[in-house]
Amino acid sequence: MASLKERYGQTLNLDKLTSYCPGCGHGVVTRLVAECIEELDIRERAISIVGIGCGGFSHHYMDIDAIEATHGRSASFAVGYKLARPDRIVFTYQGDGDTSAIGIGDTMHAANKGMPLTCIMVNNTVFGMTGGQMSPTTLEGQVTATTVNGRDCSWQGYPLLVPEMMRAMPGVKFLARETIGSPKQILHAKKSLKKAFECQIKGLGFAFVEMIVPCPTGLKMPPLKAYDWLRDRMIPYFQPQVFKDEVE
Amino acid sequence: MAETLFCKNTETFAESLARCGVKYHFAYPITPATDVMKRMAVILPKYGGKMMQMESELAVSSAVAGAACTGTLVATSTSGPGFDLMQEAIGFMCGADLPCIILDSMRVGPGDGDIVGAQSDYYMATRGGGHGDYRVPVLAPCEGQEIADLMPHAVKLAYTYLTPVLFVIDGVTAQTTETTTVPDYHDYSAEFDVSGWQYTGTEYHPKRALITGSYAHEDGYKMNERLRAKYEVIREKEQMWKEDSIEDAEMIVVAFGIHGRMCRDLVKKMRADGKKVGCIRPVTLWPFPDKAFEKLPASCRQILVIEMNHGQMVDDVRLAVNGRLPVHFFGKTGGDTPMYTLREMIAETSRLMGE
Repeated sequence: MASLKERYGQTLNLDKLTSYCPGCGHGVVTRLVAECIEELDIRERAISIVGIGCGGFSHHYMDIDAIEATHGRSASFAVGYKLARPDRIVFTYQGDGDTSAIGIGDTMHAANKGMPLTCIMVNNTVFGMTGGQMSPTTLEGQVTATTVNGRDCSWQGYPLLVPEMMRAMPGVKFLARETIGSPKQILHAKKSLKKAFECQIKGLGFAFVEMIVPCPTGLKMPPLKAYDWLRDRMIPYFQPQVFKDEVE
Repeated sequence: MAETLFCKNTETFAESLARCGVKYHFAYPITPATDVMKRMAVILPKYGGKMMQMESELAVSSAVAGAACTGTLVATSTSGPGFDLMQEAIGFMCGADLPCIILDSMRVGPGDGDIVGAQSDYYMATRGGGHGDYRVPVLAPCEGQEIADLMPHAVKLAYTYLTPVLFVIDGVTAQTTETTTVPDYHDYSAEFDVSGWQYTGTEYHPKRALITGSYAHEDGYKMNERLRAKYEVIREKEQMWKEDSIEDAEMIVVAFGIHGRMCRDLVKKMRADGKKVGCIRPVTLWPFPDKAFEKLPASCRQILVIEMNHGQMVDDVRLAVNGRLPVHFFGKTGGDTPMYTLREMIAETSRLMGE
């Protein structure tokens, strides 16, 4: 029988148990990213710049170099890194809090600079690591630890649509929102993630993929219910789609 | 080629950075530091580098940290309000053992303050600046030539100890236009082997992960013990100061930056009048040159600290003197003349000496 390394390649670190909660979407996204890196044969020159939050664990499950940045600044770290080493494949892996709350300025300006970088935003609509507080992407009416009566958009703002904010930026060459609610969606998501890396390998410009995933712990739901919620609440609002594909 | 320039000291700073091997400079416009990034934008391409203007100083210091991870020599320049914003990544770089060069061209604070020169960032510079137990080596040149002369040393400090190295230059010195000889091009960072720590991919080494956050409480303890050991070595080995006529001095004036430079004239003029005055000018503000105060001459009766602030370095002088002598303070900040004139400095020194 083939060993796990022979079967899955070098990138995915199968020796470690993940620290993700049962049903967490990060497990799927982390594996997809590792598969893309393996299939594109960029493991040795891949640099993962992770944010603060549960997504910060992702690099532990990949045999690649990693930098745990300060909260929200992964995209700015990546800009500096890529300027100094354009031959490296630099990607950020961040949650919705990291990308769209504290780091929205860094994220948007990195996108607008249009440098060949890959940013992956894993959006589960809550601050997972700190115990399920509201994030900028929390849905209207969604109950969290800090929106106890549900998010009231009249003063707590509307759920932020990050890729839509980047749509008009000419430097953004690949832009997609994907989800992992079904095997079909997972396969589609992988295609977009792979393109987001190809976009950088070809030196075309900035690539951004938002992944809509469930956080059963933050939602205080068992995993299956959290997936129902993903299907019934998150996907109808966020509407996964490829906004821009200039990779071909 | 070494070159003699007649330019602003901010421009001398830029020339010195580029000629000592800085490849990438990140910055955001702010008075009185903007001339550094302007000059870098022009000269860095000649050395195969780039100046990148970022959208905020928060992004600047983050980009500096990201670029520093590659082992490449990088720098930034700013002033008070921008220096505030940079603290996040400066603290990060200290915890992460990353080298870089930073300039704080000091202006009046707090808040938006004023764009005129000051020395009021002394505390911030010498006490770490952000949260956590860390320090940053701080160099305080008092003129253009000293900026150029200190730059190779700054790069060596950054790569020897793997730490950000901070220049604090009061806005008056920073904006002074004078004649300075800048050195030949030599990349001082290339003298150091960075292959043991740079984060450049598993092509070069087994997986490396830069982690400053604790996964177990023991990690945070170990990081701080590592930093403590580093800082003890720096405190012991890297104190720098200049002395002027202290052997028989009855009064020693302590000042850095522009006031330290003016003390040359103060000592000369007061000595010509028969007054036994000497001067100690700290060149490193951290580590503070405690050693300069260990063996003060028996003739010394008192010490006067002059600063462009309301009394910051005076605390370190008092700690170094440890109650052995009275330590007086004379300083101001802000206004059309945001510092004391030489005449005022002499008058205060004379008053304290009882004349």
